[in-house]
Amino acid sequence: MSALVRMRLAGFLRTGRAVAPLLAGLITLGTLYGGGRAQPAEAYGVSAVVLFPVLAWQTKILLDVEPDVQRRLAQVTVGVARERLAGLLAAAVAALVTVAVALLFPWLVGGVSGPVDPGDRSIPVGLALGLWAHLLVVPAAVALGALASRASVGGAGYGVAVLALGGVGAVVLGLTGSVAPWLAPPIMAAARTTGGDAAALTLLGLSGWALAWSAAVVGGYLWRRRAQG
Amino acid sequence: MRLENVWLRYHRRGPWVLRGIDVRIGPGEAAIVLGRNGVGKSTLLQVAAGVLRPGRGRVTDRPARVGWVPERFPADQPFTVTRYLTGMARVAGLGRTAADEAVTSWTDRLGLSAFRSVRLPELSKGTAQKVGLAQAMLRPPGLLVLDEPWEGLDAATRELVPELIAEVLAADGSVLVSDHRGETVRLPGARRWLVADGALSEQTSSTDETFAVVEVAVPAARVAGTVARLRAEGHQVLRVRSDASTAAPQARPVEPFREARAARPAEASREADAARPAEPPLGMAGELAAEQPEAADAVVEPAAGESR
Repeated sequence: MSALVRMRLAGFLRTGRAVAPLLAGLITLGTLYGGGRAQPAEAYGVSAVVLFPVLAWQTKILLDVEPDVQRRLAQVTVGVARERLAGLLAAAVAALVTVAVALLFPWLVGGVSGPVDPGDRSIPVGLALGLWAHLLVVPAAVALGALASRASVGGAGYGVAVLALGGVGAVVLGLTGSVAPWLAPPIMAAARTTGGDAAALTLLGLSGWALAWSAAVVGGYLWRRRAQG
Repeated sequence: MRLENVWLRYHRRGPWVLRGIDVRIGPGEAAIVLGRNGVGKSTLLQVAAGVLRPGRGRVTDRPARVGWVPERFPADQPFTVTRYLTGMARVAGLGRTAADEAVTSWTDRLGLSAFRSVRLPELSKGTAQKVGLAQAMLRPPGLLVLDEPWEGLDAATRELVPELIAEVLAADGSVLVSDHRGETVRLPGARRWLVADGALSEQTSSTDETFAVVEVAVPAARVAGTVARLRAEGHQVLRVRSDASTAAPQARPVEPFREARAARPAEASREADAARPAEPPLGMAGELAAEQPEAADAVVEPAAGESR
């Protein structure tokens, strides 16, 4: 299965279609960090939120690069379950690379600062919280991108609709006071947590919430793939 | 492998493409899937290969290693021939060395050596089809599914396909192949499955099968369509000629020949090739070999008269 993951990543990189989401991510981060300096935990929390739709889009592009018949050839060769899993893993690897760029980016442009007040978090703690916030986003974004992929929804229009709905819904439903926050991944809640009180139990709860949401959406993706044949 | 009461449709409210298919193919057996365009031959093959999941019914005892040659190889991929085949060999579970050896072996055998460094989108249709054939054979398959494998291939490679099939059969594998060009005369021992209206029927084939030749005169404008229809119905069109007298010849007693085509597959295929001009001239007549019962009320030539 790792061979199929490598092959799909190679296809994604060689077509050059990896450039578009990477550029979009860099522009977004540039805009985010261009306004001034912030402490790592707070900055990374917001960074994770804005990266969510970018990573979902990146996942959709990665999965859509492979021709439909080639995807079926892979399915015949490795089986249904491994073919699905290889696609999700390839997207996760690509997302982790983008996350690494996002974590490094503010240090290159001077977008983060060390603790100012006595009560501020140290840089290592801020980095750890930032890493957690980004890792929280990865499975949710991969799941949404997979659900929006051509193999799942068929037409390109439906895919864009799923991406837009998921991206906007994650922000809107994640606002404080939302009536149905559980319908969205907890990326907004994670951003609030990194900027405020980050109790261990809260981090654990949000992690479980993100994984459960991602699992549900991946379930939808697999169901759609099953229906699409 | 067995398809048990397999039904399939592409959309929830769409028409059933396959209806209650129940068929079995054993180790060392080959089956030719015949039928008109759009009757579900490719769909049946994809169900057998594991690409499509039946809406009802199931496929049992499918061999672990399946080689599938799709009707159109997906050449829109950013890899060279070598890189693609090596990648597919690794995906199929071969180690690095074994993958390299398999790729070298199959590119040599299929005449792809000169194209190893060529990117897939730059290949001609026939060469891309060879890559499709190679990827299915990188690991000896227990089930080889070939969807119109002769399409676009050069003469040398067309001759090679029956060899590959024979090798899979010799290793106790099973082979399913569809064809609408009459190339399956190269597979005289294969079973013949006819798909029509979503159902599958098996045309009996045995060493005792007798054949007769029916001469049919059709308007020149309808030759191509008639030839295609006859082939789709499982008949072997032996040749098309333009010097036909439209006067109805006298029906003569049937003197069936036995396995004439089977004894001369290469000759029959040359005849089939000759029968393929797109727009033959006026006044064309064709000959087709038919099983004797079907020829009961047709004009029949004795064996001596048809075996040209």
